[in-house]
Amino acid sequence: MARSLWTGSLSFGLVNVPVALFSGVTDADLHFRQLHAKDHTPVEIHRFCAEEDLEVPYEEIANGYETDDGEIVVLTDAELAAAAPRKTRTIDIESFADLEAVDPLYLDHPYMLMPAGDSEGTLRAYRLLVEVMGRTERAAVGRFVLRTKEYLALIRERDDRLTLTTLRWHDEVRPAGDVPTPTKRDRPAKKEVDQAVALIEALACPWDPDRYEDAYQKRLKTIVRQKSKGQAIEVPDEEREPSPVPDLMAALERTLADIQAG
Amino acid sequence: MARSIWNGTIVFGLVAVPIKVFSATESKTVHFREVHARDGGRIEHRRICPRHRGLYVVDKDDIVKGYEVSRGKWVELTDDEIAAAAGSRSRRIEIDHFVPLDDVDPVYYERPYYLGAQDKGRDAYALLHAALERAGRAGVGRWVFHNRERTVLLRPLEDVLAIHTMRFADEIVDPGEFDLGRVRRKPSEREIEMASSLVEGLHTDFDPSDYEDAHRADVLELVERKAAGKNIELPPDEEPEAADDLLAALEASLASA
Repeated sequence: MARSLWTGSLSFGLVNVPVALFSGVTDADLHFRQLHAKDHTPVEIHRFCAEEDLEVPYEEIANGYETDDGEIVVLTDAELAAAAPRKTRTIDIESFADLEAVDPLYLDHPYMLMPAGDSEGTLRAYRLLVEVMGRTERAAVGRFVLRTKEYLALIRERDDRLTLTTLRWHDEVRPAGDVPTPTKRDRPAKKEVDQAVALIEALACPWDPDRYEDAYQKRLKTIVRQKSKGQAIEVPDEEREPSPVPDLMAALERTLADIQAG
Repeated sequence: MARSIWNGTIVFGLVAVPIKVFSATESKTVHFREVHARDGGRIEHRRICPRHRGLYVVDKDDIVKGYEVSRGKWVELTDDEIAAAAGSRSRRIEIDHFVPLDDVDPVYYERPYYLGAQDKGRDAYALLHAALERAGRAGVGRWVFHNRERTVLLRPLEDVLAIHTMRFADEIVDPGEFDLGRVRRKPSEREIEMASSLVEGLHTDFDPSDYEDAHRADVLELVERKAAGKNIELPPDEEPEAADDLLAALEASLASA
């Protein structure tokens, strides 16, 4: 199993559950390495101090903050933890929300939140939270600090376990007000909307994530295979952009007819 | 408003909607960089070739990208060849079908963008927006952005259209891979009932603006204290502990709620 990214305790009233955080995504990408051109040796990245021109072991690396006058203030991870000692170790559940009330705009990164250790007390308290969140269909909202950043988190039941999704802070989501939108003059006629809705219904299906494959990764694998056999790689040309149709209604009707004809 | 980051066309059937893409997010995290703890020196990442004696720093021009097809056998690829995997280089987002938004598990959402209307084809934008809103569905399509094809979800969001890049199913960790451990005694009905009352007591209508990131200010204050040469007291190490008596902890929580 992967290493945990954070351990601490999930606090719900006076109930504390020791938990460990794991990434909820796996890297399915094809990875390239940087190679030394002359002999194809994979290069290694080493950290050097620019002041001393010396290699620096990982333990000697700290966090530098550049002030407005260019001065560097150095803080270690332990010192940063002093900014919020409790939040560095505890996710306090502040409230419970309905999942549908959280707009997808705010969803950031998914994680798994698992019990830390295997004591009866820990496992039972974890089960209790899973059971209750599953039954009430509510998601817990809390926050925690990981290194230099505080995260707002949404915790919910999924497959008998707790999934934690970090949320963007409200001021990290831009207002949409300045985005250019159509004016009242562009408002569509009712029959156009009817036709467009009919088109949407004709192409309706349930969300099935297994249906979408990462075509980029697949093509990349093909390219690697072709290259390893010494074949030439063709770079596709840029295609022309379609221009907006003068008659929306006619385009909708023709599209719907195409779908119905199969 | 920030500048648009991509221009293109949403295509569904024979209808083309010219759009501009705007980022819907901006990070407000206090930014740190890697430094050497003892002298604050900037940390440089240098490329070292281990085959060459001592610490041989490789020049950027002497670096190529490679994929290991079998142990020690590398296939070299140019940036152009990697970019060829992007597929169709068209500037269009093709919408293939339409799904109910409530079906989509939150783990799939990756990054949101707003779509702006272009001067030409504003009527098509208005039509797509009105139809999606009325149908109560979101479009699913493909978008090649930064040389990479992604699945996107298109939906109306107040007056604008928004798209979300979506994670692929094989990127999502299966919860079943995590072992739940064994308990001798499952939580009792009474414990579940009490915990449910606690949940209901803490239930609120979610409003993101109820939550402020106070930590940014705390971190900046810490930086100031350190810059002024003040000592920073380190918090003691504590191990998290589970309550021995779950029922007692629940009772006490309810009493103090």
